[in-house]
Amino acid sequence: MLLTAQICVVHISWAQGTDFLRSTGKIYSVVAVIAIVFIGIAWFLYRLDHKLTKLENQIKHEQ
Amino acid sequence: MEIVTKKHRLIQATRSMNTHVKGKWWKLAGVVLFLYVLIGGMTVPLSPGISSVTPSTAVNGDTVKLNAIGYNTHFLSSTGLGGWLKLDSSHILEATTIKPTSETEAEFTFVLPVSFPDTSRIQPLTLIVDNATDGGFVQPNALFVSFTDIARSGPPWQSEIGKQLHEADALRFPYRNILNETVRNTFFHIALWFAMFLLLLAGLFHAVKYLKTGFPEHDNKSAAYHKVAILFGVLGIVTGSVWAKFTWNTFWTTDVKLNMTAVAMLIYLAYLVLRNAVSDTDKRAKTSAAYSIFAFVALIPLVFVIPRLTDSLHPGNGGNPALGGEDLDNTLRLFFYPSILALTLMGNWMANLLIRYERVKEKIWYHS
Repeated sequence: MLLTAQICVVHISWAQGTDFLRSTGKIYSVVAVIAIVFIGIAWFLYRLDHKLTKLENQIKHEQ
Repeated sequence: MEIVTKKHRLIQATRSMNTHVKGKWWKLAGVVLFLYVLIGGMTVPLSPGISSVTPSTAVNGDTVKLNAIGYNTHFLSSTGLGGWLKLDSSHILEATTIKPTSETEAEFTFVLPVSFPDTSRIQPLTLIVDNATDGGFVQPNALFVSFTDIARSGPPWQSEIGKQLHEADALRFPYRNILNETVRNTFFHIALWFAMFLLLLAGLFHAVKYLKTGFPEHDNKSAAYHKVAILFGVLGIVTGSVWAKFTWNTFWTTDVKLNMTAVAMLIYLAYLVLRNAVSDTDKRAKTSAAYSIFAFVALIPLVFVIPRLTDSLHPGNGGNPALGGEDLDNTLRLFFYPSILALTLMGNWMANLLIRYERVKEKIWYHS
């Protein structure tokens, strides 16, 4: 609920061009970029985890 | 007795540490380098600069009060605040009065000369601001001067600034209008593309090796490097899109580099589809190795040649030979090159995990 409200606030301020992400010399857009890189690497880890679990299950079944 | 066991334990610990670190130093190096880039790249301040000047137009002979808004400036607390308007290297005008109202706001009053060397068209003037704390900095095209036929009087031009501008020696990233703090994305967005390219090179190397030797391990390595490189490429597009939203004010433009990179990424995404579509391992290895060579050959003109032939929003394109000047100065290089290395090492680690996973999977399949 709070998050939805937050997103709404961000959307309204985006339209006005005076949002949080643009404040302090647009520093938070750099934070957004770093967050995306982190999410990408985390997604890679998640996929690898998933694949390894499958392999583990296969070994378990064979035993 | 106790001392002996303690010593024994210590030796064991050192040995196990050695086996942990041996051959893996580059993984640690990648993480440490990335931390250095993250901390340094986010904490080094921007140089002071001027974000806007109003009014932006005037007529020759006018008395104009320029209201300059600075970024990271110290107009109030610093000493020796000076302001000049510069037409060219021999036509300079000093501000008659300067009234700083805050650290980032000041009013510069100029009495414009009547005679200009060229009155046939509107002349752009550069605003130069200098103080002891921030050093000297400029705003190009701060004021556009047009001309009137009415007889007026004004002061003469000065041939030089007349004093030595201050120099700030602190480590600072260049201030670029519009870009502002997002100049730091150089370490994350651009370095990501460089790392992707290096990983693609590694993938290509192993693809060629596979075609030469037919050894399946090379296919495994080639596929792993390609997968990580494609992940980096997708992240590069998404991060670039976010950066564009805050500088070019849109997530996607028709900029040639954007579209050509998108085409290149689609070609590489097809590589993944191709690998999944062929079930026969030998056939899959051969076709994907051959395809990856063609994809790489297509990547070079798409990303490096075509954007340079036409106009592009990207620096280092549209006729310019490469990144340089204020777009990549020495302070940015201090973090940009380590970032490329860090991301490449981390990508190599990720590829390594994939390679080892495939090896283990192969072994289990072979035994069952």
